[in-house]
Amino acid sequence: MKHFTKLATAAALGTVLGTAAIAQELYTPNLAYRTGPFAATGIPLMNGQADYMTLLNERDGGIGGAKIDFEECETGYSTEKGVECYEKTKGTAIVTQPWSTGITLQVLPKTNVDEIPILAPGYGFSPMADGKVFQWAFNMPAGYWDAADMIVQYLENEGGSLDGKKIAFLHLDHPFGKEPLPVLEMHAEGKGFELLPIPVGLKEMQNQSAQWLQIRRERPDYVVMWGWGAMNAGAITEAVKTKFPMENFLGVWWAGHDADLKLVGEEGKGYKSISWSFPNMDAPVMQEIKERVIDAGLSQTNEEEMQGVFYGRGLVMSMILAEAIKGAQENFGTAEISPTQLRWGLENLNLTEERIAELGMAGMVPPFSTSCANHTGHSGGWMLEWDGSKFVKASDLLKPNVDGYADLIASSAAEYATSNAPWAMNEECSATN
Amino acid sequence: MLYRTAGQFKTSYNADQALFPVKQDAFLLGIILILAWVVFPMTASEFTFQTLLIPILIYALAAMGLNILTGFAGQLSLGTGAFMGVGAYACYKMVTLFPWMNPIVAILLSGVFSAGIGVAFGIPSLRIKGFYLAIATLAAQFFLVWLFEKWSWLYNYNASGAIQVPNLEMFGVFVSGPQAASVTEYYIVLFVVSLLTMLCINLTRGNLGRTWKATRDMDIAAELIGINLMKSKLTAFAVSSYVVGVAGALYVFMWKGAAEPNVFDIPLSFQVLFIAIIGGLGSVMGNYLGAILIVGLPVVLNVVAGTQVFEMSTGSAILLAALIAAATFLFGVARNLWGMAAAIGFGAVTLIYGYAQLQGFRIESALIEHINVMIVGALIIFFLIIEPHGLNQLWRLIREKLIIWPFPH
Repeated sequence: MKHFTKLATAAALGTVLGTAAIAQELYTPNLAYRTGPFAATGIPLMNGQADYMTLLNERDGGIGGAKIDFEECETGYSTEKGVECYEKTKGTAIVTQPWSTGITLQVLPKTNVDEIPILAPGYGFSPMADGKVFQWAFNMPAGYWDAADMIVQYLENEGGSLDGKKIAFLHLDHPFGKEPLPVLEMHAEGKGFELLPIPVGLKEMQNQSAQWLQIRRERPDYVVMWGWGAMNAGAITEAVKTKFPMENFLGVWWAGHDADLKLVGEEGKGYKSISWSFPNMDAPVMQEIKERVIDAGLSQTNEEEMQGVFYGRGLVMSMILAEAIKGAQENFGTAEISPTQLRWGLENLNLTEERIAELGMAGMVPPFSTSCANHTGHSGGWMLEWDGSKFVKASDLLKPNVDGYADLIASSAAEYATSNAPWAMNEECSATN
Repeated sequence: MLYRTAGQFKTSYNADQALFPVKQDAFLLGIILILAWVVFPMTASEFTFQTLLIPILIYALAAMGLNILTGFAGQLSLGTGAFMGVGAYACYKMVTLFPWMNPIVAILLSGVFSAGIGVAFGIPSLRIKGFYLAIATLAAQFFLVWLFEKWSWLYNYNASGAIQVPNLEMFGVFVSGPQAASVTEYYIVLFVVSLLTMLCINLTRGNLGRTWKATRDMDIAAELIGINLMKSKLTAFAVSSYVVGVAGALYVFMWKGAAEPNVFDIPLSFQVLFIAIIGGLGSVMGNYLGAILIVGLPVVLNVVAGTQVFEMSTGSAILLAALIAAATFLFGVARNLWGMAAAIGFGAVTLIYGYAQLQGFRIESALIEHINVMIVGALIIFFLIIEPHGLNQLWRLIREKLIIWPFPH
């Protein structure tokens, strides 16, 4: 009787979970958003991620003999749903991919207690680079502070000294948009340019006339944008409307979505976006995906989306995870790895130029490596430029000057750890970088 | 039958005005309390705590606070989300400034701050009514969220602008923050919610509640019989904002763990308002029913849709069937043919869906989400059509019919 009551109550509360682990399967859920206000930018990324895993399952029978269950849990970019998905999947998952800065902020402290690696490629909290403090969090290949540093470098390389210049920082008024501020402020002080932060509220994303009026009045030399979702399209159309010189308008990697630029087409020519990924259509992996995944009807993507920056980035993200899984399997000699073993894999990634080429992804991501102290990898990236119909590489590989803000990373990470005390850290790690 | 009142004699006015004039009500509440205090905590999983039990209780509390203002005192408010935010930020400041403070005390005190702010924004209610007042509270909503963003002292100058709940200890046990066990958080939420529910029930039944109801029903008449409208309206704002503020503190400290200012934006106000309206304005129990429908149902639907129905344990399949049968029976008692049809329809859909799954049919997570939104929306409309006064009224009708069973009137 007791058994039945327990069963029945549990059922009434909806705890029946269908995702029972089947032998020789690795469960790597993705907290996706194909619905809601950010779906347009989310779908190509999620398609890329899913397709790469499908390719591995179809071509190699998974990784190291274990199939990958890349199930999606829909969040609609809502923090509440995200936490619901995290709780639902954490039982059998070996990794969590939270997919929004808001969800990352909430899940981050929980993963440190639940001991599940959190993989946030190119987003999340910049101090996550400090692997000794954030032992379960990874944001390789590059963080937002890297992006801010590379943008400043690029501007210096192209237009000479920034002394006395004025840079407007158009950003989403949200934890995500505020992330790069510490590094930008540091550079403003060091290099003598004036930084003008212009926040865009979540409610004003689609109507930025007030912000662009301010930009026209202030006449900045450059506008740097930290936007996402509907904000990017809003800013780009507004820039075209106010005749802001597009070549002086730059964005973070999330502000480089082909569909946003296609809205303005030729008039958007010259717009730039820093990126750690590039959609190299000649890469062998693209052909394989086309044959084995798309033509086989196993994907939700289409020809046009496949050529975009975001789809390619999704592929790179899954590749990073797959490489970490593979590394862990080889090191521990088991196909069904545990979350802790995956953490080892993520901490010991070494993606050299050769390895990337071997995976058929040459030119799609810069080489990088991680260690137990360095969870970001600081791969660097390319400045991409919109040529009127697609993004092309406008620079050689830029490398962030991490030494310039290493202290900032360490102090922010330490601050996070103290305010969340007791916070478990990786005391054994002896690597310095 | 179940609710036969024969033999329950009232021999004094006190007995007639007691909280539970019908014995079965007290019995039913006892069962619910045993479920909430003993059975759920013993059986629930981490997932159930985090996505059903804790949020339902917190949202029900927030709706109860709003219900005091809107349902009992008749003052329409659209600022609930912001008042929850005041509670949350006040609690955050208190626990970071005075780390020795008992977390429960901090949570209960944080309501005092939101009560103060609530009264300040309630002052316009002395001059304006109805929709105009709603606009005035909307101003509070916009102003406060703006303040949460701009006043960096509130979030301790954190670079990301978000507040993060520290690990708080009480008698050597973590009660809040990432280190806290869900069951501890649940018990604290349950304790605070039970306490405030008791307070609200008694307040609304007493002198103060009667002045509120008089103000709501006709303020001029209330004034003529000697009710001080200023006192009545401002106490309603104070009590309501207090409860809402405590709910806000629980929302961040016992559930979310971190919050950025836009969490407290207008969608939260609307969600709480919907819970209060669908549950039933002017009721206490309705808030719980509303929260179960608006907060709990989407989660359950998501899990059910994602589950292979025929992989369900026998226990849960029997339970699902029993639930559908009970719903059909209750609607039958209430002579509500639409309700009966819907319960049977839901059963049929489940069967068909189960059969489809057996044949190898699977649906995408995003599609489930779309369907989920549609089902919840349809259910809201459905409940409002069959009973415009909310779920509480629906239950009251069913209870009335059960009392006079088997006679129709």
